[in-house]
Amino acid sequence: MNDRQPNALMLQHNRQRRKISDKIWRALFLISCVLSALMIVLIIIFIAVKGIRVFLPGYEYGQQNFWDFLTGMTWRQDSKTYGVGFIVINTFTTAAFAALLSFPVATLTALFIVKIAPERLRVAFTTVIELLAAIPSVVYGVFASGAITKLVQQLAAFFGQTSAAGISALSVILLLAIMIFPTICSMAIVAIQAVGKSLEWGSLALGASQTQTNFKVVLSAAKSGIFAGLVLGLGRAFGEATAVTMVAGNAMSGPSWNLFDTTRTLTTTMLSGMHETSGLDYDIRFSAGLVLMAVILLTNALIHLIKRKIGGVDHE
Amino acid sequence: MNLLADKKIKRSQEPMASAATPDLDPGSQTAEAADRYMSRGSGPVARARTQVAAGLKPAAGLPDLKPMFEVQDLNLYYSKFQALKHINLTIPAHQVTAFIGPSGCGKSTLLRCFNRMNDLLEEVRIDGRILMDGRDLRGPQTDVVELRTKVGMVFQQPNPFPMSIFDNVAYGLRCQGIKDRVYLRQVVETSLKKAALYDEVKDELDKNATKLSGGQQQRLCIARAIALQPQVILMDEPTSALDPIATLKIEELMNDLKKEYTIVIVTHSMQQAARISDKTAFFLLGEVVEFDDTVTMFNNPSDKRTEDYISGRFG
Amino acid sequence: MNKSRRLKDGILNGLTWLSTAVAVAVLLLVFIFMFRRGWSDLSWDLITTDYWPQNLNVAFRQGEAGAYTAPADLAAGDSFSTLYGFALRDATDTKKAKTLIITYVDPDSPLESAYITTAGSQQGLNQAIHEDASVQMLYYQDEDGQQVLAGLLAGDDAASLVQKLDTGSVSIQSMYYQTAGGGIRGSILATLLLIGLTLVIVLPIGILAAVYLNEVAGRNRLTALLRQAIETLNGVPSIIFGLSGVVMLFPVTQLFGASGQSILLGALTMAVILLPVVIRQTEEALIVVPQSLRMGSLALGATRSQTIFKVVLPNALPGILTATLLSVSRVIGESAALIYTMSTVVTDNPKILQPATSLAVQIWQIMSSEQPDFKLASAVSLIILMMVLLLNLTVKLITRRLSRRWA
Repeated sequence: MNDRQPNALMLQHNRQRRKISDKIWRALFLISCVLSALMIVLIIIFIAVKGIRVFLPGYEYGQQNFWDFLTGMTWRQDSKTYGVGFIVINTFTTAAFAALLSFPVATLTALFIVKIAPERLRVAFTTVIELLAAIPSVVYGVFASGAITKLVQQLAAFFGQTSAAGISALSVILLLAIMIFPTICSMAIVAIQAVGKSLEWGSLALGASQTQTNFKVVLSAAKSGIFAGLVLGLGRAFGEATAVTMVAGNAMSGPSWNLFDTTRTLTTTMLSGMHETSGLDYDIRFSAGLVLMAVILLTNALIHLIKRKIGGVDHE
Repeated sequence: MNLLADKKIKRSQEPMASAATPDLDPGSQTAEAADRYMSRGSGPVARARTQVAAGLKPAAGLPDLKPMFEVQDLNLYYSKFQALKHINLTIPAHQVTAFIGPSGCGKSTLLRCFNRMNDLLEEVRIDGRILMDGRDLRGPQTDVVELRTKVGMVFQQPNPFPMSIFDNVAYGLRCQGIKDRVYLRQVVETSLKKAALYDEVKDELDKNATKLSGGQQQRLCIARAIALQPQVILMDEPTSALDPIATLKIEELMNDLKKEYTIVIVTHSMQQAARISDKTAFFLLGEVVEFDDTVTMFNNPSDKRTEDYISGRFG
Repeated sequence: MNKSRRLKDGILNGLTWLSTAVAVAVLLLVFIFMFRRGWSDLSWDLITTDYWPQNLNVAFRQGEAGAYTAPADLAAGDSFSTLYGFALRDATDTKKAKTLIITYVDPDSPLESAYITTAGSQQGLNQAIHEDASVQMLYYQDEDGQQVLAGLLAGDDAASLVQKLDTGSVSIQSMYYQTAGGGIRGSILATLLLIGLTLVIVLPIGILAAVYLNEVAGRNRLTALLRQAIETLNGVPSIIFGLSGVVMLFPVTQLFGASGQSILLGALTMAVILLPVVIRQTEEALIVVPQSLRMGSLALGATRSQTIFKVVLPNALPGILTATLLSVSRVIGESAALIYTMSTVVTDNPKILQPATSLAVQIWQIMSSEQPDFKLASAVSLIILMMVLLLNLTVKLITRRLSRRWA
């Protein structure tokens, strides 16, 4: 039986091997993590390089003027006029209107789910929000081009306006409002849940009703978290591509302030006609992508600034 | 099968044990440590000297009382807080040494120095030396992973892995790359027997270990440590999470185990220290106030603070 | 409480009820819409047939006339052949050309015994003719033993062809026809390939990275920076991932021999998109593994990596499963990034290094064509909607189990 005893030489050998494999694994852990973290940096660099190229001298398909690109109010493939100015304005207005529609509804829904709904319904409603968040963009797109456009078409007829079969800025706004709803709502739920009971009791003890407490104390205490949700929602609205492209209509110039007109956002510009293009028309999409990233970053910074101005009670 | 014999063979085969540093005579080492220890106080030191000296010159009936760990002027800091202050101690082999003292006094911290579990905490700074077989535990030649196979540990909360009983006990050996199923089976069986758990679980070695009772789990953790055939078993308040009956079983077990292993136990309960240990160290605010034979310490403490603690005046 | 205050409270409360009702209504609307538009097109055939129609020459193993009865639910304009057991209808295809569509095939009809006679690798294979096939021409044997041509080329419409067959023939000989096409079999295969490849790429990297952040890294500024960089990926729109995939990851696929858009490129891009998801889910699972297990393992002389692989990761498995399911759900639903990296050309035999479409991209392709087939788009939408919702509900179940586990 003693010969089964592992001999010292083998153990020694194993020890060496374990040490080496431990070192290798640790290196692999580190490499994976650094690789993951590098991705965001690489993405920014690659898009920036490719996006700026069209404005540099020596660009093979004809150098573009950067200033004209930024301020231009026409985007026409056939005349090679690429102005992103009105597109940025459209992107902002559609997203802003969508947020305007979605934000109050989402906040109230969150308040309802956390504070008002009966215990049993709470889980069900949370699931509803999660499912809304899980529906893929392309499915919302099909829904929008089948249902929302019909609604908009009828609205247009009612107001005596014409719309291209409902393909319009208004459709984009309604679609985006639906799509950013779960984002804003779930952040608001988290924020409201984090409000301490003591604040609530304090208000109730002063003779406020539960409803007054909810609206005056709970919501204002959760303010910063709810605003964070708004920022996320706006980010999603700016970046949403597939669904929006299906109902935007890609206007060639603008901005138009008529909600029943077709529109064009940064993402629809990047996506539409993708499969049948090359050269400048292809490369300029990277420039649009660069502008999109700038828009998102700027909005984030702006809202952070506003949030600091608003300040407010922060929960722990 | 004679596992004790096996163990001795294995030990002698291990390069570290047999090739033990020729330049260091263990005797002179200990004497040095004892001298340093003596220079610190008066009352307890004298007694400690006789004890350690007795260990140095193996007397009849006590052939094995050589030092296992020698702690030399050890300081330990958690960022700025000094948790251990100038510790000098010699832990004798094949004895049960108990660390007692109020919570936060550093006894568990010192225990964790013996298998370098403190390495896992960030912002821990240590100076001073701990010698084992004449080698500094924190020296560059010491391989932490290997050290932990020689110095086993049992924790306050039983922490069996959520796998089968068999896999729990075989874990350490498998980590060392031992795959021989027959050998693993032997070791698991003997380890469980030594931990007085075998009879209760022999028919269900495939059962998930987390399904065992608290006391069984803790004995499993002891078996798991024994399976590696360590020289020392460190126990960090091993019975504080257990009921009295389970506690009694573990205490009986320790009495058996000390024939083969050196045991260092941290305990909150003075009764437990009195019941099971041969030597006791009393800690207060990061210092060793008194270190002596348990019988002496409990019957005739030389330090006022020890007396106060033992008689329940604080703590 | 006075009356006006109570009224005000009531109104405010009512508003929250209303808002929630709107949310529920939207979810229901999307579902009902997809069901009503897509349900009729949803069939086993849709899932199993190719997208591109195929022209085939077939002959019949048992072509003799029999006696069949028309099904009760036969549409009014359809002509039923009582000798051969199938129904025909006049129709026009997408190019406005006249076609003859088979609308019903009896299970014992000679059409079921067809085999391919077109030269090539498929020659001799059984190829039963199904509904929605479009008949070009047909040879039958008349009572004199003569071969007679019928079908579009002989100027027949549905009624006259059936008339010819049922009055003057003894057996049918051969047929030239076009399979229905328009199916999504190719896109399903491509989606499965995409899911598999994406998981193979993202799971190891994501899990290892999460292990580094949670088990190996010290709590210092560098770790915080790495974590922040990974979190930032979450806010990037998927179309940006698509663009960067084309410029940044395409060279990687070139190493494997891809020459343009490919499933591999799509998988790499999806992997980047999913990295933060996998890392976060895994980390959340790692955090709840009790510290005492790590201590126990290390105290038994296991190395860090042994502890991680033998004790920590097995206990984090539910979290990793959650990450996997969420990833699958995201891959199924993703469109923008894949339009750039995988192309919008539907293929029936997807290859890893060739362009293909996932189901979501095929919806996009259908919707952006000149004459969008709305019903088909809705049917495919319904399929991915179901899959995504099922996956998400499963994740919810697992998470609830997980949170109970160490409690």
